[in-house]
Amino acid sequence: MKRRFLAVLILLATLPSALAAGEGAPKPFERGSWQKLLHAHAGHPTLVHFWGVTCGPCKVELPQLGRFMKDHPGIDVVTISADLVPNLPEATRSMLDNAGLASAENWIFGDGFAERLRFEIDPAWQGDIPRTMLIARDGTITTIEGSAEIADLNKWSDAQAAATR
Amino acid sequence: MISRKPAARILLAAAMLAAFPNLCKAQMSHQHASEAACEETVLRCASKVTPAFAPDGTLWLAWMAGGQISVASSKNQGKSFSAPVQVTRDRLNLDWGPDARPKLAIDAKGDIALAFSIFRDQAFNGQVLTTRSTDGGRSFDPPKPITANNESQRFEAIGFDPAGAVFAVWLDKRNRVPAQQRGEKYDGAGLFFASSNDNGATYSDARMAADNTCECCRLALAFDGAGHPVVVFRNIFDGGVRDHAIVTFTDLATSGELHRVSRDDWQIAACPHHGPSLTISPEGTYHVTWYTNGKARKGLFYARSRDGGKTFSDPLPIGEPSRSPSRPQVIAGPQGLVMAWKEFDGQKTSINLMTSHDDGATWSKPTVAADTTDSSDHPLLVTDGRQTYLSWMTKAEGYHFQVIEGEP
Repeated sequence: MKRRFLAVLILLATLPSALAAGEGAPKPFERGSWQKLLHAHAGHPTLVHFWGVTCGPCKVELPQLGRFMKDHPGIDVVTISADLVPNLPEATRSMLDNAGLASAENWIFGDGFAERLRFEIDPAWQGDIPRTMLIARDGTITTIEGSAEIADLNKWSDAQAAATR
Repeated sequence: MISRKPAARILLAAAMLAAFPNLCKAQMSHQHASEAACEETVLRCASKVTPAFAPDGTLWLAWMAGGQISVASSKNQGKSFSAPVQVTRDRLNLDWGPDARPKLAIDAKGDIALAFSIFRDQAFNGQVLTTRSTDGGRSFDPPKPITANNESQRFEAIGFDPAGAVFAVWLDKRNRVPAQQRGEKYDGAGLFFASSNDNGATYSDARMAADNTCECCRLALAFDGAGHPVVVFRNIFDGGVRDHAIVTFTDLATSGELHRVSRDDWQIAACPHHGPSLTISPEGTYHVTWYTNGKARKGLFYARSRDGGKTFSDPLPIGEPSRSPSRPQVIAGPQGLVMAWKEFDGQKTSINLMTSHDDGATWSKPTVAADTTDSSDHPLLVTDGRQTYLSWMTKAEGYHFQVIEGEP
């Protein structure tokens, strides 16, 4: 009896978030998320891309990143929507889908105190997007302000592959 | 049997969550994702608050809260406010970008011109809407587009010139499609302007002052001693360098020559979301503050021009570089110049102030005027001609309006 209640309970409790967000919805990026993210990808070459649905240059760059991810399965691709316009999960997800980034590890700023979130990532970052951080296997971070040149990403990716040989 | 009652209660709670997923979502965003403290349209729930003094000394606030724009006024320098009046009625997707906010200006008769931006479609194309009140802010006309053109517009600024006309300037993407049809690359947005002789009921046809300016930073607008509009904006100079430029208009329908405020050499294809501030002192000096992350310099800076914006002084760094200084504002008040900006130490945001009594030649040591440990709006400065005030909305403490004491 108890167990059946529990099963119904779990089903009901998980239903709304599944309905509201859907599978593959961006995860809320909160205080402490950055350190968790770095820890989870430690030892793997990782590209972290900060963007936003209202940012013009981001709209151009996102599909290029989608292609980059497809061409470089050895690189962990992470996107973080740092736009502060509320109620964005739907629009964010649809732009990621269209850019071929649905299967990337996707996050969205989930704390209105964006200054603090940005400070945890890079105290010098004032919120300009797009912004890309390339994290090498040894943890070295290269930051690209503004739209990244795909040729530069390819070069970095090749260097990462070479480093394993 | 013993477990049934609490289980039933939990089941009810779970069923409620299932039936009202938005309840859960609203709660979540209320506590975490939102910059606002609450979801209603009252001032306490605002994420952006803009102050403006009327010529008769009445303080007006326009704010964004609960998805609507509202106003209220104060006859006692912000100690108490009138009952709020909601300017918008429809459910609009207001532009909540970091540099967006409602703007308002009040003329000598007490008529109010108000402007704001919305996202008018799913692709986040913007639209600038304007409205006015001719009954002292008791009611507002239904908001309407500032221009018939339907390409994306954002970041409007408005003000009354000394003759009582409304001048409006905004960023407008209308030249993008024709450029692309010609097979040309189009960067940024045009700086467009218009004016109104009926307090903002109707605006003249839009004209362009400059093309290919940075599309995502607020504009700074002030009027010089002769009543000419002066606009500072983040431009896109050759090579994609997003440094600041200034234009002094010849009249409300004629733009002037573009001059560069500073050579910061910030080459970036991005949205800095961080616009400049401008004030013009009684001496006729232009005072500008801005943010850059250029090769030549990084951080917040101040410079002044004593020749109508043709040349500027060497940029003066503002704030403590290790505390991420941001959102610089400058105003010429009755006791001199005041500058305000934000700093963040990893936990706490503080508002820092400096003053100058020699038209910007020297500045006082910075002092902390206020702080908060949650999200907050930009610090804004406003004057009623007798004193200068700091206006600051914080999520944790609410709205903050304080006199800035003059330095000895």
